Amino acid sequence: MQETLQTLVGGLSLGAVYALVAMGFSLVYRTMGLVNFAHADIAMIGAYAASTFYLTSKMPFVVAMVVAIVVTGAIGLVIERVLRPLENKDFDLMLIGTIGFGIVLQAVAILIWGTTGRAVPSPVRSAPLDVFGVRVRTYDLLVMAVAAFAVIGLAWFLARTKRGAAMQAVAMDHEAATAVGINVGRSNALAFSIGAGLAALAGGLVGPMLYVDASLGGALGIKGFAAAMLGGFGSIPGAVVGGLAIGVLDSYAAGHFQGYSVLVTFLVFTAAIMIRPMGVFGERTVSRA
Amino acid sequence: MKLRIGGLAAMIVVAWLLPYGLGSYAIHVVNIALIYALLAIGMGLAMGISGQINLAQVAFFGVGAYVVAILTTHNGYGFWAASALALLATVATGLFVGVPALRMQSHYLGIVTLGLALGFLNWITNATITGGADGISGIPLPTLPGIDLSSEYLYYYVELVVCVLGLAFGLFVVRTALGRRLRAMRDDSLAASAMGAQIPLLRMTAFVLASLYGGMAGILYAGLIRYVAPETFSIANMFILLAMVIIGGRRSLVGCVVGAIGLTLIREWLSDFSTYAQLGYGVVVVLMVVFAPTGLAGVPGLVRDAVRRRSRTSGGPRAELRPFTPYEVSPPPDDQATGPLLDIRAVTKDFRGLRALDDVSLSVLPGEIRGIVGPNGSGKTTLFNVVSGFYRATSGQVRLSGRDTTATRPYTLSLLGVARTFQNLRLFSHLTVRENILVALDRTRTHTIWRYVLWPPGVLRQERRLRTQAQELLDRFGLADFADTPPGSLPYGIQRRIEIARAMAARPRLLLLDEPAAGLNGEEVGQLAHMVRSIRDSGTTVVLIEHNMGLVMSLCEQVTVLAGGRVIAEGTPPEVVASPAVIEAYLGDSEMAQDAREAAPPLTATTPHLPSPSPSNSEEAAR
Repeated sequence: MQETLQTLVGGLSLGAVYALVAMGFSLVYRTMGLVNFAHADIAMIGAYAASTFYLTSKMPFVVAMVVAIVVTGAIGLVIERVLRPLENKDFDLMLIGTIGFGIVLQAVAILIWGTTGRAVPSPVRSAPLDVFGVRVRTYDLLVMAVAAFAVIGLAWFLARTKRGAAMQAVAMDHEAATAVGINVGRSNALAFSIGAGLAALAGGLVGPMLYVDASLGGALGIKGFAAAMLGGFGSIPGAVVGGLAIGVLDSYAAGHFQGYSVLVTFLVFTAAIMIRPMGVFGERTVSRA
Repeated sequence: MKLRIGGLAAMIVVAWLLPYGLGSYAIHVVNIALIYALLAIGMGLAMGISGQINLAQVAFFGVGAYVVAILTTHNGYGFWAASALALLATVATGLFVGVPALRMQSHYLGIVTLGLALGFLNWITNATITGGADGISGIPLPTLPGIDLSSEYLYYYVELVVCVLGLAFGLFVVRTALGRRLRAMRDDSLAASAMGAQIPLLRMTAFVLASLYGGMAGILYAGLIRYVAPETFSIANMFILLAMVIIGGRRSLVGCVVGAIGLTLIREWLSDFSTYAQLGYGVVVVLMVVFAPTGLAGVPGLVRDAVRRRSRTSGGPRAELRPFTPYEVSPPPDDQATGPLLDIRAVTKDFRGLRALDDVSLSVLPGEIRGIVGPNGSGKTTLFNVVSGFYRATSGQVRLSGRDTTATRPYTLSLLGVARTFQNLRLFSHLTVRENILVALDRTRTHTIWRYVLWPPGVLRQERRLRTQAQELLDRFGLADFADTPPGSLPYGIQRRIEIARAMAARPRLLLLDEPAAGLNGEEVGQLAHMVRSIRDSGTTVVLIEHNMGLVMSLCEQVTVLAGGRVIAEGTPPEVVASPAVIEAYLGDSEMAQDAREAAPPLTATTPHLPSPSPSNSEEAAR
C-alpha cells in the first residue's frame, strides 16, 4: 500500500511535467493543426537555458526560469514563421519540418553545451515531508503547484481574454477567423510561442528531477506527446489527465519492470490508444465522404 | 527510352567498376551507404508511396540484425539459415507495428511507431540475450561458395545485387496495380476504398514492405560489421534516415536511394564535424519541406515545368476535352425476373443524438435513372454513404439485387458493382488521370498481391490488359489529352468528368452520382445529361443527387424527395414538383405554399405528417 502510494506520488510529479509538455503540444495543435515534433527539443533547450542561468549566471531559480521561457518563446516564433507556408496545407510535411527543427535544436544544444550533461541541484533545500509514511519531496510539490497554476492560467487566457478567444476562433475555423478580422498569422505565432514557453517551463522544472543532456528532449517529448494523445489531442483538460496518467504509468513501470520500463510504457500506451484512438476527451472525427 | 537504357547500362558499369578505384576504408563507407539505401527504399515505400508515417524503420533494421546475431552466436545456426528466420521475424515485427495503422493515421501513427521503436531500443539495451549496451560480437562470416565474403570488396557485390534487386522490385510494385492502390490510399483512402481497395490490408502491406527492406538491411549489416550494438538503431539514426528520404524525395524510390547514399557519404566526409553536419542536414530538411517538398527527385520535374511554362506560347497543339463517345446500347433488363437492384428498407442513421435518416425506404429498378432531391441537410449524401458502405445504418436494411449489404464494406461493394462519385471531388491528386482510371479498373481482390512474390509475369499481363482498357475509357470520355496530367491542375468541369469516368471504370451495375452538375456551366450540364443517359443505356442503373432541377426533370424517370431525413414524396418529376409536401419543404408553410397546395392534385407516397426541414443537420454532421 505504502509502496503503491509512493509510486503514485513520484508519478504525479513527473506527470505534472508531462502534462505541461502535452499542454504545449495541444495548444499548438488545436490552433494551427500543427503537430510540433520539435516541441521536445524546445523543452530540452528550455532545461539547458534555465540551468545555465541558474547555475552559471547565478540568477534566482524563478528569474532563470522566466528568462528561459522568453528565450524559447522566441525560438517558437522563428519555427512558426519558417513553417507558416505549410500551415493548413500539408500535415505530414509540417510534421517532418518540425522533426527537422528538432534535429537542428539538438545540434545547437550540443554546440553550446557540449555532449556531457549536467545535474541541477534542487532549488528547494528542505527535507522531504512525511505524509502518512509516504516521503514527498518538497520540490515535487512545487512542480505540481506550478503546473496547476500554468493550467489555470492557460484556461483563463483562452476563456477570458480577447486574444485567447481569437485563438479559439482560429482553432475552430481559420478561414472564418480571417473573415472576421483576426490576424491568423499573429494568433498562430502567439500560440506557438506560448506552447514553446510551456515546453521551457516543463524543461526547466524537470531539470532538478532528471539529468539535463541533449537527449532529454527525446524522453520528455515522446511521453508528453503520448500524454496529449491519451488525453485527446487538442484538449487542455485531456493534456492534464493524459500527463498524469503517463507519469503514473511510467513510475509504476519503472518500479516493477526496471530496465524495461520504456518498453512496457509504450506497449500499454499503444494498447490504450488502439482501444480509444481519440483519447479521453478527444472528439471522434466522422470520416468525410 | 534509348537514353534511359543507355544511362542504366552506364550506371551498372560504374557500379561494377567502382571497387577498383576505392581504398579499403572507402569501400566500407560505400557498403554502409548501400545498407542505408535499402532501409530508405523500405521507408519510401511506407511513407512516400503508401502515406504511412513509419518511424520504426530502425527497429526493423535492428530486429533483422539482432535475430541474425542471436541465432548465430547463441543457437549455432548458420548465417543464411539465421537470415531466413531473421527476415520472418522482421516481417512479424512489421505486422505488429502496423496494427495501430488500422486505427490511426498521420501524426498519431508517427508517435506510436516512434514509441514502439523506443521500446525496442529499451529492450535491446537491457536484455541479457541481446548483450545489453555492449551488444553482440563474433557473428560468423557469411559464406558463399567460391566467394570470400571477408573481403569488403566482394561483399560490396553481394550488397549491390541485393540493392539493385530490391530497387527493381520496389519500382515494379510502385508502377503496377499494388503500388497504384497504395498511392491512391495515400492520396485519399476513402475514395480508394470506394474503388475496391481493401484499405486495412494495404496498410499492413505497406508495413510488411517496409519491414522486409529493413530486415534485409539488418541482415547485410550483421554480415558486414559482424557486431551489433544498440547505438546503431538509435532514434537519432531514425531521424537521419528520415532526412535521407525527405531530401532524396519520399515519393520516388530512386530519390530515396540517392538521398541515402548521398547523406551517408556526406556524413562520413564530415565525421570530424558531426554536430555541424547534424545542424546542416536539419536545416536542409526544413528548407526541403518548405521549398521542395518532393525532394531532389522532384527537382527535374520542377525545372521541366518551369521551362514548359516559359515556352508555353510556342507550344504544340493545345490539350482539349473531346466529346464523349456513347456506350453501345444493351437490351433493357427484364424487371419482373430480377426485382429491384437497390432496395433500401426502413433505414435509420443516427449520429449521436442527431437523426440524419429516419425510416427511409426506397427501391430502384434495374435500368432506372433515379433522382434524389431535397433541401440542404436533408440526408441525401448520408443515404449515399449508407448505400456505398461508408456508414452503417443504425437500423434497417440495404439490399443489392436481393443480397443484404447493410454491413458490407465499401471495397466489397465496389467489387459487387456499386460505384460512386463525390460531392466534393475526391480524385487522387498525385496520380495522373490515367492512373486514377487504372485504380478503378483494377477489379482484383487485394489479397491477390501474393502474385507479386510468386508469379510476377501474371502481374505484368494484367497490367497490359488494364492499360488497354484505360486507353479505351480515356478515349470514350474524351480525356485522352489529359491522360498524363495530375487532375488537380485541370479545370473543374474536366475533373467532374474524370470522376464519372473513374466510377465507370469499375464497370458498375449501380452508379451513385453525388451532385454531378455542381459547378458545371450550361453546356457541360448538357453533356452530363447525354453521358448519364448513355451510361444507363449501357445497362448501368443510375441514382443521382442533384440540385439542378432542370437536369433532374429532364433526366430522371423517378424522383425521391428527402427532407429532414425522411422521404416526403416519390414519383415522376411533374408529380413530385406539384406535391404540397415538397413545396412546403422547399418554401416553408407559407401562403404561397398554401396556394400551390390548393392548385396541385393529390399525390403518391406522401406522408401525412411532415417534419419541417432543418437545414443545419445531417449533412453538416456527415462532413
